[in-house]
Amino acid sequence: MLEIKDLTMQFGALKSINDLNIKVNQGEVVSVIGPNGAGKTTLFNVITGIYTPTSGTVMLGETKLNGLSPAKVNRMGVARTFQNVRLFLNMSVIENVMAATYARTKSGLFASALALPSSKGEEKAVRERAEELLSFFGTRLTGYRWGEPAYSLSYANRRRLEIARALATDPKVLLLDEPAAGMNPKETHEITEIIERLRTEKGLTILVIEHDMHVVEGISDRVIALDYGVKIAEGDFEKVATHPDVIEAYLGRGTSDKK
Amino acid sequence: MSNVKPEDTSSLGIGTDQWVEQHEKRIGNRSGLVGKALSLLQRIPVFARYGLLLGAAFVFGALVQNEYLLRIAVNLGVFLMLTYGLNIVMCFAGLLDLGYVAFFGFGAYQYALLSSPHLNTHLPTIATIPIIVLSTALLGLLVSLPSRRLFGDYLAIVTLFFGQVFVQLVLASDSITFPGAEESKDFTGGSNGIPGLDKFKFFGFEFTSIRHYYWFVLVVLILLTIAITRVDRTRIGRAWRTIREDSLASESMGISINNLKTLAFVTGAALAGFAGAIYAGVQLAVFVNGFDVPLLTLIYAAVILGGSGSIPGAIMGAFIMSVLPEILRVPEYSEILFIAVLALTIITLSKSIKKILLTFVALLVTGFIGLLIFQLFGVKRALDETWAIGPVSKIMKSWLFVPENQIFWGNISFVLLIAAIAYYTTASKKIRMIALPIIGYLAIFLWEVRLIANPSVTRQLIIGALLIVLMIVRPQGFLGKARVEVL
Amino acid sequence: MSYFLQQLINGLTLGGVYALIALGYTLVYGVLQILNFAHGDVYMVGAFIGYFVMIASGGPAASAIPMPLMIFLMFAVSMLGTGVLGIVIERFAYRPLRNSSRIAPLISALGVSILLQNAALLIFGSTVRSYDTSSFIPSTAGFAVGDVTVDAIRLMVLILSLILMFALGRWVNKTQVGRAMRAIAVDKDAAVMMGIDIDKVIRWTFFVSAALAGAAGIMNGLLLRGVSNGMGFIPGLKGFTAAVLGGIGSIPGAMLGGLLLGVVEAMTQGYLSTNFSDTYTFILLIAIMLIRPNGLLGKKMIRKA
Repeated sequence: MLEIKDLTMQFGALKSINDLNIKVNQGEVVSVIGPNGAGKTTLFNVITGIYTPTSGTVMLGETKLNGLSPAKVNRMGVARTFQNVRLFLNMSVIENVMAATYARTKSGLFASALALPSSKGEEKAVRERAEELLSFFGTRLTGYRWGEPAYSLSYANRRRLEIARALATDPKVLLLDEPAAGMNPKETHEITEIIERLRTEKGLTILVIEHDMHVVEGISDRVIALDYGVKIAEGDFEKVATHPDVIEAYLGRGTSDKK
Repeated sequence: MSNVKPEDTSSLGIGTDQWVEQHEKRIGNRSGLVGKALSLLQRIPVFARYGLLLGAAFVFGALVQNEYLLRIAVNLGVFLMLTYGLNIVMCFAGLLDLGYVAFFGFGAYQYALLSSPHLNTHLPTIATIPIIVLSTALLGLLVSLPSRRLFGDYLAIVTLFFGQVFVQLVLASDSITFPGAEESKDFTGGSNGIPGLDKFKFFGFEFTSIRHYYWFVLVVLILLTIAITRVDRTRIGRAWRTIREDSLASESMGISINNLKTLAFVTGAALAGFAGAIYAGVQLAVFVNGFDVPLLTLIYAAVILGGSGSIPGAIMGAFIMSVLPEILRVPEYSEILFIAVLALTIITLSKSIKKILLTFVALLVTGFIGLLIFQLFGVKRALDETWAIGPVSKIMKSWLFVPENQIFWGNISFVLLIAAIAYYTTASKKIRMIALPIIGYLAIFLWEVRLIANPSVTRQLIIGALLIVLMIVRPQGFLGKARVEVL
Repeated sequence: MSYFLQQLINGLTLGGVYALIALGYTLVYGVLQILNFAHGDVYMVGAFIGYFVMIASGGPAASAIPMPLMIFLMFAVSMLGTGVLGIVIERFAYRPLRNSSRIAPLISALGVSILLQNAALLIFGSTVRSYDTSSFIPSTAGFAVGDVTVDAIRLMVLILSLILMFALGRWVNKTQVGRAMRAIAVDKDAAVMMGIDIDKVIRWTFFVSAALAGAAGIMNGLLLRGVSNGMGFIPGLKGFTAAVLGGIGSIPGAMLGGLLLGVVEAMTQGYLSTNFSDTYTFILLIAIMLIRPNGLLGKKMIRKA
């Protein structure tokens, strides 16, 4: 489904990603791990069009993604969440999700201003879809919370909202950037379940950046380890976790041990 | 931090979060007097608020005979259209358009060219208005298209230049010599403007009285308010707001930010053009100096003061910026207004009734001290009493010492006042108590001696100070919602 | 050809003044990412201060002190005065907004600009003062190279602006405060962590920026232009343009932009009509902005995710 070929991303003299090759098949959940600075978020930024790669290609099926703007990439079917949650804070919870349906809807300025039936119908449908997506997360993001500004949400709820928002863009591939960061064990467990449900109930292909190895273990069909922009290991969790290069990358650089 | 007493659990229940419930109240409460006033306002249901406004507007239009008042109202209406437009550009989409007023001027000049003896064109209004709106929109498109990819600051720069280019072009276009032509053609009347424009004419009905314009503007505003509110609540409005919130995240959710920015820009321009056409039709003349930076600052001040992003805020801001200067023109009214504002400021700044009384007493004392000091130094008193225009100053005659050399003392007091205010903002609570009456006295002194005789300068000074203070104290304006900004 | 050279000299002189204004903008933008709209009005205040110093020393015609000293005093007092004004503005209009949105300081700057212009109007009135430079520097003084004349006034202004630019360069590169300023411009948070006293450095930056504007104001006056309360708007706009043209945040860029702008303006005035000259200048600049939005020497900004 998603194929990254010979990808290099260079900033000045620094090769943030160096000749990377990754293949993600449809319906897979692949985790990307690696110490900080390994180039994981940069990889996401390149896939979603925020950066244009120095060389190499990013393919979604038959479509070439590199060089497209982030909006176009999203319309092709790739949605993401951000490492440090970027919600539309001053908009309400439900508006955050409704806004993301933009690319899949078409009411123009005049249609909305004149309250044409087509616009009203679409607005209703958008609202229902948003409610449906928010309900995916159970009681946490439902009811009275919908009208509240996003900045009133707790940290964990913000992360969930961000996922709901990404889902509203109707993606085929979902990129989650550290979805469990800053969560307590119970919340982490919930996220693991959510990711699994996203795969089975929504049929999504998911690429996850994570540091929490419990999550990685729980969700991944495959794990890819990066260090200094290069792939140092790939395989199932067991294989990668015990890979000498991976251990050295983590421990040798003095990062904290497995959470 | 919360003002909720433990027994106040009426709003709680299973599934309700106290923090969330109290949230709106908290934001309001934190802002002191204004917040209290607002929460009072909020008790009135929304449609009732608009209904009241509308009712007042109808009554006004039907009963008022004074043409001057009607004219002020029409100008307010035009100004409100401009505020709406800038609201869309700046607050919905987050763009800084510093040449906005040029679209207003463009619309006005277009009307002057299409419906006046100047070029001997007299198109009926039913044709001119759509033409003007569309062409101004087109101009907006031309201006914003090349700068789509620019970051916020750069758009501000380009639009600022555009605004200046417009003024320069209009000024210089009173003698354009086309290649091959014998003599130069006067397009825009240069610095003299274009007078003698046609009145509005719809299907033979001519707008002979200002009242006709009033109803026209009122209807337009009602329609616009409905339309804008609708747009704000739906797809495009939401998308605009996401751009303002976080344009990167917005784009990553599939929102074509460049197209939307252009759309906002163009819509704002179209509104300004429409407003310009109406303005020209009302004034029956156009002068380019009216379409430059001073007006721009007024519109910006209106949007920001009232509260960016909200229709009620726009209405309030437009009212303040457009009607207030008119009030300031009449010395008696402006004096009352000034004293009222001063009193209000003192009340807001002193937290308890006791302190308020103390401050007023201290103010009185300061006045007498000032009187003494002046007389001690033998400063000549103003012989005539022309400065005592309004009722309040007549009362103050014996308390306030007004020197003869008003310009000199006015300047000194101005500098002292600024210094005192600056000092006040950094001083401790105790010193503030002493400083406040002194500031009050200086303000009154300055007002009576200098400012009251210079309403236009005073208006600008107040706007300038207001903008600064507002950004520091209440950046969301009076009726706006406090925002959480991501840096 | 000599006409061209004449215009070139005029342009460079004018450009020197614009460069000083541009430098002020760029310095402040570098540390605070604010477009200081009030800068042009600080320039105006500088011109006024210089004017009053001139009057106070009995000038311009019957100066009680030797002319070079008078000129020196004008510059010194004005630059000091505007520098202090810059610090005051920063303290009360910008410092409280350091953690606010991007628009808040811009609006505040607008407020300061309005305040300054109208305060000047109130205090000094609307009559246009004139430096009447030719009364103490005869306009015939100067030298000529062929058909090209360089009069003494222009020469002095040009040399002074070059000196100031050079001094600024040394300040930015060699002094501790200057280096700290550059550090803040690159990464404010890191600078704080390195123990740099942000407030102090920002204060210095505003002082220098405003002082340069003050000097520019006097130079403008010396070039026989009128001094009035609204004089700061267009030059402020142009200085701002020059800063952006050279790449906002870049000091050599501001110098280059200023000089270039001055030359362009002189050329359009000399060869095309004087009426439209400002229009041409602005259009040209819009064009350059669109082709190279980062300016001639500016750096490309990278969006972070």
